[in-house]
Amino acid sequence: MKSYFRELSVAGALAILLLVLAIFAPSFYSPQPLLSLSAGAAGSLVVACGMALVIISRQIDISVGSMFAVCSVCAGLLAAMHWPLALVVAASIFIGAIFGAFNGTLVAGLGLPSIVVTLATMVTWREGLRWLRQGEFVNLPEGIQWFGLSQKSGQWALVIGALGILTLLAFMMKHFSIGRFIYAVGSDAEVARLSGIRPKLTTFLIFVLMGALVGLAAIMNIVQSPQVDPQSGTGLELKVIAAVVVGGVAISGGRGNLWGVFAGLLLLACISPALTHLHIEAYWEKAIQGSIILLAVVAEGLRNQKSSNHG
Amino acid sequence: MNTDKRTRKDNLFRHEAILLIVLVAEWIFFRAIGRNFGTYDNSCDILRHSCEIGLLALAMTPIILTGGIDLSVGSLLGLCAILFGKLWRDGHLPIPIAALCAIAAGALAGGLNAALITRLRLPPLIVTLGTFSLFRGLAEAITHGLDTFTNFPNSFLFLGQERWLGIPAQAPLFIAIAIFFWLLVHRTTFGRSFRAIGFAPEGARFAGIPAGRRVAMTYVLAGIVSAIAAIIYTARLGQAKADAGNGYELFAITAVVLGGTSIFGGTGSVHGTLLGVAAIAVLQSGIVHALQPSEMAGMLTGALLILALASSVLPKTISSLRARKSALKLAKQNA
Amino acid sequence: MSGELLQLTSVTKSFGAVRALKGVSFNLIAGEIHALLGENGAGKSTLIKVITGAYQPDSGAIQIDGKDVGRLSPAIARNLGIACIYQQPALFPDLSVAENIALRLEPAAAFSRVNWNSRRTRAQQLLERIGAEISPDAEIRSLSMPEQQLVEIACALGSGARIVIMDEPTASLTQKETHLLFAVVRELRKNGVGIIYISHRLEEIFQLADRVTVLRDGESIGTNRVDEMNESSLIKLMVGREISAIYPPSEKAPGEVVFSLKNFSCPGVRNVSLEIRAGEILGLAGLVGAGRTELARAIFGVVPADSGEMFLDGEKIQIQSTQHAVARGIAYVPEDRRRHGVILEMPIAQNMTMAIHRKIFPGTWLRFGAERQMALDYIRDLSIRAFGPDAPGNALSGGNQQKVALARWLATKPKVLILDEPTQGVDVGAKSEIHKIIRSLAKSGLAVLMISSDLPEVLGMSDRIAVMRAGAITAMLPAKSDAHTVMSAALGQKGPSE
Repeated sequence: MKSYFRELSVAGALAILLLVLAIFAPSFYSPQPLLSLSAGAAGSLVVACGMALVIISRQIDISVGSMFAVCSVCAGLLAAMHWPLALVVAASIFIGAIFGAFNGTLVAGLGLPSIVVTLATMVTWREGLRWLRQGEFVNLPEGIQWFGLSQKSGQWALVIGALGILTLLAFMMKHFSIGRFIYAVGSDAEVARLSGIRPKLTTFLIFVLMGALVGLAAIMNIVQSPQVDPQSGTGLELKVIAAVVVGGVAISGGRGNLWGVFAGLLLLACISPALTHLHIEAYWEKAIQGSIILLAVVAEGLRNQKSSNHG
Repeated sequence: MNTDKRTRKDNLFRHEAILLIVLVAEWIFFRAIGRNFGTYDNSCDILRHSCEIGLLALAMTPIILTGGIDLSVGSLLGLCAILFGKLWRDGHLPIPIAALCAIAAGALAGGLNAALITRLRLPPLIVTLGTFSLFRGLAEAITHGLDTFTNFPNSFLFLGQERWLGIPAQAPLFIAIAIFFWLLVHRTTFGRSFRAIGFAPEGARFAGIPAGRRVAMTYVLAGIVSAIAAIIYTARLGQAKADAGNGYELFAITAVVLGGTSIFGGTGSVHGTLLGVAAIAVLQSGIVHALQPSEMAGMLTGALLILALASSVLPKTISSLRARKSALKLAKQNA
Repeated sequence: MSGELLQLTSVTKSFGAVRALKGVSFNLIAGEIHALLGENGAGKSTLIKVITGAYQPDSGAIQIDGKDVGRLSPAIARNLGIACIYQQPALFPDLSVAENIALRLEPAAAFSRVNWNSRRTRAQQLLERIGAEISPDAEIRSLSMPEQQLVEIACALGSGARIVIMDEPTASLTQKETHLLFAVVRELRKNGVGIIYISHRLEEIFQLADRVTVLRDGESIGTNRVDEMNESSLIKLMVGREISAIYPPSEKAPGEVVFSLKNFSCPGVRNVSLEIRAGEILGLAGLVGAGRTELARAIFGVVPADSGEMFLDGEKIQIQSTQHAVARGIAYVPEDRRRHGVILEMPIAQNMTMAIHRKIFPGTWLRFGAERQMALDYIRDLSIRAFGPDAPGNALSGGNQQKVALARWLATKPKVLILDEPTQGVDVGAKSEIHKIIRSLAKSGLAVLMISSDLPEVLGMSDRIAVMRAGAITAMLPAKSDAHTVMSAALGQKGPSE
C-alpha cells in the first residue's frame, strides 16, 4: 500500500503547531493578520509547487529567488509604463519562462548538474539586476496594488489564486500522463527512456514551468505593496526547498505530492509568526530553516537505510 | 598508439595553458583601460582580496575531486568570523586563543557535513544546502542579526591590512596552505584516493581504499580552512559581521571548475584552481579599476562558470550527437 | 494453433575474435515451453540478445510467424510481440505496480487523461491471470525480486507478447514462489504463447518444458523432446567435448593449510566449509547464482559475514572491511573488471599501486620513481601489452586489463588470492599467459581460490574442485575429475557413477 506517512506526519506537526498557537498565542488567529499572512505566502506556495516538480524529477533549482526579483522588477517597470495589468502578468510569466528555458537548456541539453547551473544563473541574474537598478525601488502606479481591488478582496484573490494553482498542478500530477512522466523520469530516467518517455524534453519543460510559476509568483508579490523592492526573493529558494523537503518529496526523486508540500509550506510559514507570538526572536529563523532541512533529509536517509536492509 | 599517451596530458595542459593565456589577456586588457591597474599596490590588493576565496577554492578542490560538493563554506566563514569576534570581545579570550577556538568550531562544522554525508550516506548537495542555511542562521542568531565585532587590536589587523616584508601579510599563510593542498592532492596517497573515489567510488572500495574516511577528511579540512579564511577576512575588513563570506561558495566553485577540475570528480588540479582564483580575482579588481560597477564582477563570474562547464561537456555532447547522426544514417542505409 | 512462432536459421555472431554463436538454428512453436540449456559462455545470452534485437547477427535468418524479419531492433522486436524477462526488472521503483504496467503498455502521449480505474483494473486482471497475489497499488520498491519478476511477466502478457523469454527466472525464488511461477508459465502456454525458458535447474526443465535445446561453445548440439531425455543424457550433451587445451601442471604437493572456513554464511551463502593449502589452487565451480562471488566478497570484507568462522594461518580472523582483508593478506581480483578490477581512467602504474599505498608510499608520500619501476617490472613479468606505465586502463585490451588487476593484488604479497572469473572475456593468448601466472603464483606458496565458470579451465587448473550450488558446497572433487561429474554436482544431480 502506498504510504502517505510523511505527508500525514507533516500535517500532524502542523496541527500541533496550530494547537500550540491557539493555546499560547491566540492573537495569531485574528482574521486580518491571518489573511495578510496567507496572502503573503501565496507567491511562495506557487513557487513551492514548481520546486516540488523540479525535485521530483531529480533536479534542483536554486535560482528561483533571483528569477523572482528580476520578474518582479520587470513587471513593476512595465506597470509603471502603464501597460494593462493583464499584459504585465503575461509578460512576467513569459520572462520567467525564458529564464527557466535557459536553465533547462543547460541541464537537459548539455547534461550539466542542475545545482551548479542554477548556482551560476542565480548569481548572474541577481548581480545583473543589482547593477541595473542599484537598489532603486520601482514605484507602482495606482490600480496595480491589490489588482485594483480593495485590500481584503485582493488578498482573498491571491489566496484563492494560489490554491487554485496548487489544485491544478496537483490534479495534473496525479491525473495527467505528463505528470506521471515527471515521476517516472525522477524515479529512473533510463527506464523512462526505454519506455518511450523523453527524459530530456520532460526535464527541459519542468524548468520552463518553474520559471513561469516564478513569474506568476512575482506578480502575486508586487500587487501587495506600492513599491517593488529589487531585493525581494532573497532566500526564497531555501524557504521553498525546505517546504518541499519537509512536505515529503524525496531528494532522490520520483516520489512526493503537492499536498504534502502545501502542509510543509504552511508549517514553515507559521513558524516565523509563531516565533514572534511566542516571543522568540526572528533572527533564529534561518537557523531553524536549515535545521528543518537537515532533519527532513536525515529522516529520509534513515528510512532509506532501513528499507534497504530489508530488501 | 602514442596519441593516447599524449591525449590526457595534453588536455590538461591545454586547459591550464588556455587559462594562463586568459589570465594574461585579462591583465593586459585591464591595464589598458583601467587607471591604477597593474601597479604593485594594486597587485597586493588583488592578492589580499583573493586570499579568502582562494582558501575556500583550495578546500573545495579535494571535495569536488571525490565527486562531492560543499555549498556551506561561505556560510561557515561567516559563522566562524562571528564566533571569533564573540569569543574575543565577550569571552575575553586573547586573539590567538579565540582564533584557535574558531578553527576548532570550523572543524566540528565540517565534521557535521562529513558525518551526514559519509555515515548516513546523504547526498552532499542537500546536506550542504541545509548547513549553508544553518551556519548562516547561527551566525545571525548569535549576533541577533545586527551585532558587529570591531575595534580589533592593530597587531591583529596587521594580518589583513599591512605588508610583511613587502608582501601582504596574509600572503605567507595563504601560500603555505596552498602548498599544503597542492602536496596533499598531488604528492600524497590521499590525493590519489580522492581521484579514485571520484572516478569509481565502488572501484576504490574494492581496492581497499577507506572511501568513507577519505571523503570525511575533505569536508573537515574545508571546515578548518573556512575558519582560517574567516580570521583573515576579519583582519582585512577590521570587523566581523554575520554576512561575512556571503556568496563566496559560488566564487570558490567557479575557480575550481575554471581550473579544470571536473564537476563529476576524478580529474583536476590544485594549480588549476589557483589559476582559476587568479583569473577571478584579476577580473574583479579589473572591473573596479575600469570604473565598472562591482556587480559586473558577479555577473561575469556566473557567466564564466557556465562557459567553463559547457566547454567541458561540449566535446562529449558533440561527439555523441555525431555518433547518433551516423547511426541513424547507417540504419537508414540498411533498412 | 500450433504455428511456428520463431525460426532462427544458421545464426552466427562474433565479437572480434570471440565466436559466440556458430551457425545456430532454433525454433519455437506456439503454445510450447522450450528450454534452453548450456553452461556459462555457451552462447545462451547472445542468442537471446539476437532474438530481442539487441544484437544483429553476422549471418543467418530470423523468421517470425513464417516471415523474414530482416534487421531486428529492440523496438521492432517489441512490436512483433517478443518480450524478455530478465533477472533485473526494468521497473520504476517509486511507482505502483499498476502504474508501471500502464507506463510500459500505454503509448507515451503527453496530454492524455490518466484513468486510474482502468489502470488498476487492467493491472488487477493481468495479475489475476497469472495468479500473482500482488496488490496493484503496491510500490515496486516494496516488492521482493520475485514479485517484481511477476510484474514483468504481467507486462509481457499485457503487451500481447507471443514470444516470452525468461532468463533464469527461478534463480532467487523459494519453492513456493517457483510453483507459482510454473503456474504462470503454464497459463501463458495455454494462451498460445511460446516461452523460451533458460534455467540451470534440470528438475525444472523436466517439470515444465516440452522441448529442450542444448548449446555448447556457441553451437546447438541438439533439440529434443523433454520426455525423450534424462538428466544424464542432457549433461552429456552439455559437456561432451575433449579437453584439449594444455594447462600448466602443478609440480609440488601442497603445503600446510593456509586458509579455512567453517560453517561460513553470508547473504547468498549457507554454511560453507573449506580449506586451502599453500601452493594449492582450489577451483570453485558452479553455475550463475550459486553464490561463489557472494562468498568471495564476504571473505574479502565487501559485505559482512552473517556467521561462521574464518581462519588464516591457523588464527581465527574477522574481516570487517576491505582494508582489514588487505592488511591480513587476502586479495580479491573481482569479476567485474571494468568497474571494480581496474579504474579505467587512471594510469596502469597508479592502478597497480592502489592497494599497497601503505607499503610503497611510506608516510603517504608518493614516490613516482618507485611506482614507475614497479609498474615496469610487472609489465615485463606479466607480459602486459601497453605503451607504458602511464597508459590509462581503458587503453588496454581485456586481457591486459586483467593482468593489471592481477598485478595490483600481487603487489600486496597476499597469502590468499581469490580470483573471480580470471579469464572471462580474455582472448586465447592472454588466457594461457594468465594461467601460467596463476600456476607460478601457487607454486610460490600462495593459496589460490579460483572461481570459474569455464569448465575446462576449472578442470585443467585446479588441484581440487569445490562445486557450489544454491549457496552451499555440493561436492569436493579431486583434480582429475571429469566434466560430467562437475556439471552434475553444479546442477545438483547425482553423478554418473551413482
